[in-house]
Amino acid sequence: MSVDIRLASSRPAGTDLYHGENPGNIVTPGDVITADSGFMRGHGTYMEDECLHASVAGTVERVNKLISVRPLKTRYNGEIGDVVIGRIRELAQKRWKVETHSRMDSVLMLSSVNLPGGELRRRSEEDEKMMRHYLKEGDLISAEVQNVMSDGCLSLHTRSLKYGKLGQGCLVCISPSLVLRRKTHFHNLPIGASIILGNNGFIWISPTVQDKSEESGGYETNLQPIPKLDREVIARLRNCVLALAECKMLLFDTCILYAYEASLKYAVKDLLKPEVAVEVVDLVRQRLELEGS
Amino acid sequence: MLTNKVFIKKTKMGGVMKIVREHYLRDDINCGSQACTHNCDSDGKEPLEEIPISDSKLVMKPHYLVPDTNVVLHQIDILEDPSIKNVIILQIVLDEIRHRSAPIYKRVKDILASSHKHFYTYCNEFNMHTYAERQPGESANDRNDRAIRKAVAWYADHLKDTEIEVVLITNDAGNRKQSVLDGLKAYTIHEYVRSLSNMSLIDRLANPLNQMNQDNNGKVLFAEHLGLAEIQKGIRAGRFLQGTLLISRENYLEAFVSVKDQEKMIFVQGLQNLNRAVNDDNVALEMLPDSEWSCPSSMVLAEDEGKDEEDEENRALNETVVDNKVPKELRQPTARIVGIIKRNWRQYCGILQPSIIKERTRHLFIPAEKRIPKIRIETRQAQTLASKRIIVAIDSWPRNSRYPLGHFVRCLGEIGDKDTENEVLLLEHDVPHQNFSEAVLSFLPKMPWTITEDDVKRRRDLRHLDICSVDPPGCTDIDDALHCRELDNGNYEVGVHIADVSHFIRPGNALDQEAANRGTTVYLTDKRIDMVPDLLSSNLCSLRSKVYRFAFSVLWEITPTADIVKTDFTKSIIDSKASLTYAEAQLKIDDPNAHDNLTKSLRGLNKLAKILKKKRLDNGALSLASTEVRFYVDSETNDPIDVKTKELMDTNSMVEEFMLLANISVAEKILYEFPDNALLRRHPAPPPSNFDPLIKAAQSKGFTIDVSSGKALADSLDQAVVPENPYFNTMLRIMTTRCMMQAVYFSSGMLQPQDYLHYGLATPIYTHFTSPIRRYSDIIAHRLLAVCIGADASYPELLDKSKIQSLCNNLNFRHKMAQYAGRASVNLHTHLFFKKRIQDEEGHVLFVRKNALQVLIPKYGLEGTVFLNDDGQKSSSIFVYDEENNTQTAGDVTIHVFDPLIVQLSIDRSNVQHMKLSLKLVKPMIPGFSVQSVREVQANATGSQSKTSTTDLPISGKPPQKKKKRTH
Amino acid sequence: MAGMELLSDQGFRMDGRKPNELRRIRFKKGVFRQADGSAYLEQGNTKVLAAVYGPHEIRGSRGKALHDKLLINCQYSMATFSTQDRKRRPRGDRKAQEMTSHLKQTFDAVVLTELYPKVQLDIFVEVLQSDGGNYCASVNAATLALMDAGIPMKDYVIACSGSHMRDTPIVDMNHLEESSGGAEVIMAILPRCDQIVFLEMNSRLHEDHLSGVMDHVMVGCKDIFNILNQQVQDELCQKTELDKIVTTG
Repeated sequence: MSVDIRLASSRPAGTDLYHGENPGNIVTPGDVITADSGFMRGHGTYMEDECLHASVAGTVERVNKLISVRPLKTRYNGEIGDVVIGRIRELAQKRWKVETHSRMDSVLMLSSVNLPGGELRRRSEEDEKMMRHYLKEGDLISAEVQNVMSDGCLSLHTRSLKYGKLGQGCLVCISPSLVLRRKTHFHNLPIGASIILGNNGFIWISPTVQDKSEESGGYETNLQPIPKLDREVIARLRNCVLALAECKMLLFDTCILYAYEASLKYAVKDLLKPEVAVEVVDLVRQRLELEGS
Repeated sequence: MLTNKVFIKKTKMGGVMKIVREHYLRDDINCGSQACTHNCDSDGKEPLEEIPISDSKLVMKPHYLVPDTNVVLHQIDILEDPSIKNVIILQIVLDEIRHRSAPIYKRVKDILASSHKHFYTYCNEFNMHTYAERQPGESANDRNDRAIRKAVAWYADHLKDTEIEVVLITNDAGNRKQSVLDGLKAYTIHEYVRSLSNMSLIDRLANPLNQMNQDNNGKVLFAEHLGLAEIQKGIRAGRFLQGTLLISRENYLEAFVSVKDQEKMIFVQGLQNLNRAVNDDNVALEMLPDSEWSCPSSMVLAEDEGKDEEDEENRALNETVVDNKVPKELRQPTARIVGIIKRNWRQYCGILQPSIIKERTRHLFIPAEKRIPKIRIETRQAQTLASKRIIVAIDSWPRNSRYPLGHFVRCLGEIGDKDTENEVLLLEHDVPHQNFSEAVLSFLPKMPWTITEDDVKRRRDLRHLDICSVDPPGCTDIDDALHCRELDNGNYEVGVHIADVSHFIRPGNALDQEAANRGTTVYLTDKRIDMVPDLLSSNLCSLRSKVYRFAFSVLWEITPTADIVKTDFTKSIIDSKASLTYAEAQLKIDDPNAHDNLTKSLRGLNKLAKILKKKRLDNGALSLASTEVRFYVDSETNDPIDVKTKELMDTNSMVEEFMLLANISVAEKILYEFPDNALLRRHPAPPPSNFDPLIKAAQSKGFTIDVSSGKALADSLDQAVVPENPYFNTMLRIMTTRCMMQAVYFSSGMLQPQDYLHYGLATPIYTHFTSPIRRYSDIIAHRLLAVCIGADASYPELLDKSKIQSLCNNLNFRHKMAQYAGRASVNLHTHLFFKKRIQDEEGHVLFVRKNALQVLIPKYGLEGTVFLNDDGQKSSSIFVYDEENNTQTAGDVTIHVFDPLIVQLSIDRSNVQHMKLSLKLVKPMIPGFSVQSVREVQANATGSQSKTSTTDLPISGKPPQKKKKRTH
Repeated sequence: MAGMELLSDQGFRMDGRKPNELRRIRFKKGVFRQADGSAYLEQGNTKVLAAVYGPHEIRGSRGKALHDKLLINCQYSMATFSTQDRKRRPRGDRKAQEMTSHLKQTFDAVVLTELYPKVQLDIFVEVLQSDGGNYCASVNAATLALMDAGIPMKDYVIACSGSHMRDTPIVDMNHLEESSGGAEVIMAILPRCDQIVFLEMNSRLHEDHLSGVMDHVMVGCKDIFNILNQQVQDELCQKTELDKIVTTG
């Protein structure tokens, strides 16, 4: 077995695109964004002495009168309709507490899940006792944000067939701000794997399942071993996602696919080497630029 | 600006510790040369001249010198010479000097501060171009040498566009060789100095060790000293002891070592055991086995003076006292010296030993201090120096040399010349008396000095008051002034105004440090060694009349019965209306026709002072006597022509009374505000046994002296009056003074309040506030008081009781030394006075000793000893000492204490360095002992000579210096 | 006087700096992948790691939660190998506890805590190598870590130490200078609004010198701020450039 040992060295920094000039919309905490009182205070800002100040480091975004600052990295701030992936942390009265990398645990009410046996079934006490049978601590789910409570707590639902308990696959956690908001976050990639890009920065990579059996309501896990080839594809995808995230690239299906293709000339494990990762990302970047122009 | 390059310096300490320190290297360190063609950012500091001029024949071009550490350490005398200029002292050199020798470091700093020397410190360690990293296997010394070479090389390169060369001065052969290889100019200091036209410098070169080694055939006379590491190991293991060596004054072969934390001194005897240690050195000792213990021999042994030196060389070290027949019970712990931890060599005054062969360059030097061995020096000027007093420094003491090797530093002047002798006594009493350095003077206020608006706002304006000062005639440093006026309510307002020296001397600056070090102004009979520069002492601070001056005032409201109603302290501006002498003030008071404000003020003061004094004496304050002499000096030769004791007037005591009052008031105030760090003065009550001689002496005249308390003592002294001998009481008081302890300064936090007592003044608390011009203690008191009243800011050192205490220790030392120096000066003048005459005078026996009588001569306030058995003839004395009654009897004459005598005064010139006043008994006549009186001798000598008349005219050549005797 | 000369006649400190010069500052944000925000900071030879977790649900007893604002939980520790003499430092020794509470106070003042009621924020600081100014380096590193985590703050918090030597105020003291026994003034300020959020003084300093020292420390803080802010902005700009490509793509 060969082992790769490397000594401390400065990491390759990727192509340096920045040439020193501040594009103007970059702020750091305490910076005055505007002294104009005609604007509304959005996220990442605060008012003091009649001036709007930034409270986080990031880029200023303006939507009409609303000014907000988007930090590079933050906990997930949910919005209604977001696709999220979460992990059950705790069971409570008629609800599951789900860790979604938000600042508070999200809530999945017993009433907002599809239970086996029809959508319009009444939730009985029996079901409450069975909760752990459906989802227990540590289980992963995909869900949609149903509502954002006043204290910032998210309430989730899985009332669609595409949501629910996740089976075999691989979870990658990255910064939520790196996930590009798209129409769909579920992708069946043509390379034999599916990917769910959770808005909360959790990314789920799994083998594409052809037929979804409805009877179990999605609560039974298929424990059949995955063929090695599929596993390799999943592993390669995971490393690609990590590489892209490492280089602070926004994630969406095309770029992941490009990264996958660009990485094919390397062994899966080699993608973990920083220089390889940077090279792959560079290729992706160039390809995107080419297509963009 | 910052090269921002981090380096790591590793030093191993205690084996395993690795110390990592940052070391920033810069590129903005300036070369300090005015000739520099680069843009060195100099911020105006370019001490090195553009065209350095030197007359060296070795380096023809203009050049800068770069000495290495050893050159600076050993040849500082050369560097201090005004002809050596334009020297670059590298930072690395300066650092090393700081670690190796504090006095030399201070001297180097003084040179660096003076602008006409053109010395410059170059921070080579912080410059990226000259930093040398220690290479593996390289010793610290090698690295330093390399760093020095690198700096020299940098300078050479830096100044290559100019005419100037940079010359490395090092006596290390290896370093020199390496420099030449590197293409640098390098010479030894000897080569360089010899090439200069100023030949006198050559004598001042310290001797290199190796020269001496050659001509002594390697005959080793002393045991080797142990290395420092070994000594420390030994001390830790308890095999060795560490202490300071004190050579006996009587016998130069015997010494005691005061070992730290040990009461008992340890004895060292013999040249071998002393092993080249010099008085004051910090040494390591090894105890000898009990069988070899010894005790001090009673012999007085001084190094022989006349012997030819070759003789002495050959006479090996047989001098060691080997006869260990000391009885067991007398034996003291005896040790031998195995190593020197730290040399404490200083420069020594003395004379050259006359040499038979005139042309020789090697000579022996005899120090004035008997505890210092003779020093071998090399000089070509022996003939000119033969009759001079010179200063010599010790360089080394190799194992094969009987004497330490040294070099000539400078010549003080002719032996017997007054200035020379003055300087000698200053040096020997460690009185700092050099001119003030430029650094110190730079902190003086710029002249012309004016009072600003701001000053007026911060001070109380007392210019309208009728303030005057009363001092001895000719006084120029007036630090106190007084006023007194009647208030509407019948009380008096009395003000004591003290020169506000602390306004001009700010804490921590060079001026302050210098003053703190000097501690006190030293008054010699004809000279004053100022504590602060003349501009302050005689001008800005001196409360002269008719000028506005800053003062620190103490204002009291006092009832006519001299009770204090209210005390007020304030910084003020005053306008003294008159500077009076004691006599003038007395005249004004006594003049019935004078009714001006000033006179009224003086009368008020006088009246109150008398009441105050009475109260004080009633309280048990002692009024003690000491004799003080005043010399009348010939205006032309400055030689004393007459000598008188000083007389005291009412006004003396008037001023003194108010000064005491001010001091006590201030002491109370500052102690109240600063219980921990007030600078106070205490005078401990003497242990009763101290009074034994006094009681005994008084008993012989039938008086009992009660020493149970200060009050009792004062009363019994007052009663001891013998009408037929008016001097008896004074003598008793003089004797009482001798019984007293020394009054000392201390920091209040270091002692218990009951120990604050001032015994002599009978006050529970006392400080010095009234003479800030001449005492540093008063400056501290001023600062403390200023902080109390919010007039000035405090600073950390002022609030630190241990710092104040260490300051006090220095002040106490300086005061003691100043007193000794003053006395020595009086002695010196006495000698000069009697140099030309022999005189008979009336005296009184003060003490009767086993082999001598101590005699007081009231006319001159002198005290001398009449030796009863002449040392010349060892024959037993004709006197019989009665210990019981304290008398000496010869035949039918018995001499008691207080007996009047007539003695003959003359100068004993047998010892050039130590002239002594010798007293010979004239009356009572004792055959075979007494001498004839001068008159009789003259009568016998045909009488043709006219009697040398002494003019009694008080011609004050120089204004005699003020010296107030307030030593309480 | 014996021993070392902290400020030479030529106006240099022991390590070659001038009185008003800082030590070299280097830092890197986002050194941990797991933490929400993290930073590694070197101030001379003082090296500090800071990690920020949260805001997240209260861990441990829920009673600690504050109903109207964020709960900040700090932990300061020193590595066993951080000082010259290696010794085990049980977490929560007196010195570390004191430092912990100082850090908590400092960041309570600057984080917009009212935005996150009922949740908790963890700030962990570990000193890897200590060479003076531990508090200052910790504050500066934690500020960067908080920024990295996107926690809203009023401003940067920048800390710097200073003292007074030979009538000259000096800033950013190293261990040698700290242990020389003189006074030490430590300040944490909000550089843009000139507010002092933390001030500590060890040993005694004369009142008259205090304001002078404080002014210099203030300037020192602003210098540090400029260094940090410059690099933070540069990194931000670089990131946004990347974003542009993507969004145009």
